[in-house]
Amino acid sequence: MSAAWGAARPRRATVVVTWLVLIGALLYFLGPVYWVVVSATKSNQDLYTTSGLLPAANHIAENYATLLAWTQNQFWRWVGNSVFYSAAAGVIGTLVSVAVGYGLAKFKTPGGAAVQVAVLAGLLFPIALLTVPLYLLFIQLGLVNTPWAVIIPSCVSPFGVFLGRIYVEASVPDELLEAARLDGASELRIFFAVVLRLLAPAMVTIFLFIFVATWNNFLLPLMMLTTNELKPVTVGLYGMMSYFNPQYGAVLQGALLGVLPLIVLFLGLQRYWQAGLASGAVK
Amino acid sequence: MAARDRRARGGRGFGRRGFGRSHEARTGWMFLSPFVLLFALCFLAPIVVSVRAAFHRDLPTGGGLYGGGELVETFVGVENFAQVLATPALWAGLGRVVLFGIFQIPVMIGLALLLALLLDSEVVRRVTVFRLGFFLPFAIPGVIAALLWTYIYSPRLSPINQVLGAVGAPIDFFHPQMILVSMANMTTWTFAGYNMLIFLAALQAIPRELYEAARIDGASEARIVWAIKIPMVAPAALLAVLLSIIGTIQLFNEPTVLATVNPWMGNDFTPMVLAYNAMTGQAQPSGAGPASAVSIVMAVFAGVLAAGYALAQRRLAR
Amino acid sequence: MEHTVARAAGVLAAVAALAATSACAGTQATTTAPSPAAPGTTAVTGGEPVEIAYLHRLPDGEGMTKVAELAEQWNEENPDIQVTATKFDGRAAEMITKIEADVQAGTAPCLAQAGYAEVPSLFTRGLLADVTSEAAGYADNYSAGAFSLMTVGGTTVGLPQDGGPLVYYYNAAEFERLGLTVPTTMTELADVAKTAAGQGKYVVAFQPDEAQYWLAAQAAAAGGTWFSAENDAWRVDAAGEASQQVAGLWQDLLDSDAALVEQRWGDGFRGALNDQSLIGTIGAAWEAPLLAGDMAGTANEGQWSVAQLPSFGSEAMTGPDGGFGVVVLRTCDHPAEAMEFNNWLNTQIDALVSQGLVVAATGPMETPEAIRTFYGGQDVFAELATANENLNPDFPYIPTYPAIGAEMAAAADRAGSGQGTVMDIFTTAQEASVSSLEDAGLPVAR
Repeated sequence: MSAAWGAARPRRATVVVTWLVLIGALLYFLGPVYWVVVSATKSNQDLYTTSGLLPAANHIAENYATLLAWTQNQFWRWVGNSVFYSAAAGVIGTLVSVAVGYGLAKFKTPGGAAVQVAVLAGLLFPIALLTVPLYLLFIQLGLVNTPWAVIIPSCVSPFGVFLGRIYVEASVPDELLEAARLDGASELRIFFAVVLRLLAPAMVTIFLFIFVATWNNFLLPLMMLTTNELKPVTVGLYGMMSYFNPQYGAVLQGALLGVLPLIVLFLGLQRYWQAGLASGAVK
Repeated sequence: MAARDRRARGGRGFGRRGFGRSHEARTGWMFLSPFVLLFALCFLAPIVVSVRAAFHRDLPTGGGLYGGGELVETFVGVENFAQVLATPALWAGLGRVVLFGIFQIPVMIGLALLLALLLDSEVVRRVTVFRLGFFLPFAIPGVIAALLWTYIYSPRLSPINQVLGAVGAPIDFFHPQMILVSMANMTTWTFAGYNMLIFLAALQAIPRELYEAARIDGASEARIVWAIKIPMVAPAALLAVLLSIIGTIQLFNEPTVLATVNPWMGNDFTPMVLAYNAMTGQAQPSGAGPASAVSIVMAVFAGVLAAGYALAQRRLAR
Repeated sequence: MEHTVARAAGVLAAVAALAATSACAGTQATTTAPSPAAPGTTAVTGGEPVEIAYLHRLPDGEGMTKVAELAEQWNEENPDIQVTATKFDGRAAEMITKIEADVQAGTAPCLAQAGYAEVPSLFTRGLLADVTSEAAGYADNYSAGAFSLMTVGGTTVGLPQDGGPLVYYYNAAEFERLGLTVPTTMTELADVAKTAAGQGKYVVAFQPDEAQYWLAAQAAAAGGTWFSAENDAWRVDAAGEASQQVAGLWQDLLDSDAALVEQRWGDGFRGALNDQSLIGTIGAAWEAPLLAGDMAGTANEGQWSVAQLPSFGSEAMTGPDGGFGVVVLRTCDHPAEAMEFNNWLNTQIDALVSQGLVVAATGPMETPEAIRTFYGGQDVFAELATANENLNPDFPYIPTYPAIGAEMAAAADRAGSGQGTVMDIFTTAQEASVSSLEDAGLPVAR
């Protein structure tokens, strides 16, 4: 709010260049998505015989029927599974990440530095190579073929930890914590009532990253889950692609329908980014 | 402003308040422990298994053409390392990913930063469409991105070449001289918006009064960007670059996708492709031992690069 | 350093303790067994049915008889042997990685789909059960060539499901229009290709991405045997006389621009079929439905035909290009019951044909209507069955065969673009075979 008053009106040339760059970037990022949208309406044949830029005969309904048939009517269930796994991992992972970030940034925790080094070292190791040992471990724990086998590893986000720490350092003032302590609030209460509120935009960002990463994770659920009813949608779509003559239009439509919940989520989280904006100004 | 500075340097509340040190340690660990437990389970334990595997090899003992149909895990010392280090493909792959990173990371991070700054500027009020649009590629599942790029780059079907071909300048995206650029484009498309979001979140966390104060002091918009915004996103940018370096050393999806239509790329185009195919027995050397050895070599390499970058950055910042 | 390690160890111990408690809780809640029981191998005691788990990679697509439905049908007819079929959504190599971990943990299914060229590799890795005696009773149900591919050094490990003998596909209408005759020998093939090329058409395509199996199968068709036993060691002959013959043919075709060079699974191949610049191709039997699907709705409908592979050697023989069977995994507690289902499954010819397979079981295959129409009314599957019977019976694979594919394909790509020769592909195969065997600790005859 207050920023608007003080800002000098940007010059016309600046405005024009800014818009040109932003729209150019939007075209770059959405151009390929446009191809997915157009191709999802085509028959397999038209995909290869008509221009990729233009729509051909409308095959939306046929492709949707094919999608349901190939997924044995499990498509929406799989989307639901994906939403559940991603949301659970996102919520748990965000809380856990922000807690570490807070613990590292605001407390002299012995071993804190070692934890950070370990997390960084953990990142260096390619995760795909860890999937098989993790699978063996989870068999021992009896977690294989349960939602936890996907949720637990997905909510460990080294990136979220560092991001959490950076955001805590940037937007949680010590005075506020001290004031709360003087009021006699417990540490947990301070964390949940004060810190988390201040971190809303950061948490939304971390949540979104973990959510999408879980959504798109493929190797982990492929190894961990065998029951048809437990599959997330990416594994199901991959299954449609792993044979020689995939039904492209149906797969692409499945991908688009699968992205819808992500878009809804993104728009829903919008509010919190804005809220964060406002609370950032709170002293 | 002054108050801000003090609170940034004034240390952490606990020490001054006189709570015991052990109390602070306990509280700190209370916040650290959930993650540390999960991390130990999902990262450390598998890493320990994997490192152990790097010193072992599954060898046949039964004799005969098929080794008796039984493999025995055998300790082989550093033999796996010696073997993978002597594999030319590993070094060629490392060379490729370094070359790739040198131009791709600056372009991607620069683009992400530029877009974040533009969206954070006063020009654009409604950022939702852009924020979503830039981020959307990250939400496209890998299997679909594979389909997408093999089509867009396809010599025969490429919509880009439909346009460029009309003006007589088609691009051969699969040419050996071009393939790294094609991969870099895929990576940038996927991750630029992701990094943009990180920067944008950092930018929007900056209290607006800082800008006002600066403007009252007569600072130009460019000066505000340079003196306030850039330093405030610097930690996030450092992190983004570090992760990009690590991600580049582990480059896997893009070369795997492109290799399906370009067999000349082989099963060892990047170190990670080599490691994965060694793990699944589709490359030489083969098996869990060599695969682990390759990934440890990669981890060390990435660690050295990342540490080198972090140190250089710190020196520059002084 | 000491410190960190000690702490890490402590953390791990804590995790293990936590894990132990949660695992116990899980076990109590679900079963009474003291250890987590393997899904595929639940013990039978006192009339309880035997449970068999089966992991497959069949497409299970629209209009196909689903594997799960087959299992259901079996379960109704066989209350004592209950089968659970699960589809694996990843690639073959990923499935093997999972199975290997499962066998290690004792939680593997009883039955799993495996490519013929992967069977020796699985066997060497100790993942397969010896079901020689159980299989003996079912051997007559399958083509001898396919059955032999499920036998590793005298040990039978499962039953064959699908076969991939090479055949020749061609657009009969275009052939007639151009006055071409269908080639029956290698020499005729080269002549026809050159004649067609003169008229701007290709009757054959060189497919670098398929080099590993497609070219090996051609060497087999020319009478070659790449891998054989010599004093209990592997004798590798991938660049021998038969391979040289195959290399000669393709080098000639490439040098005279009489073969289209395209990746089999790239857009270019499909595009060339659609615009009818490619009017013939050497392909595996399982490509019959794929080619029909690729060209459905174009001018090609009803024009194509299937013929036997032109003879590459002295006699009419073809080679195995892919195909797979169903193996019994080592940790299976009930191999006999598993094999009973295995045999029943693999003799459900109509259902398997609906999944796009050219079944390895003997017995009449009915050509599905859509395929018959595409191939101008031809009884395609009868032709393919003939090819199945003409398979070179002696073309076993080495346990490290999966590891040499990428190198062969890369060499083939170079040959296709003129940067190498076709013979280089076979010398690459020779060298890679030897080095991969030695690397795996298996004996190679010198």
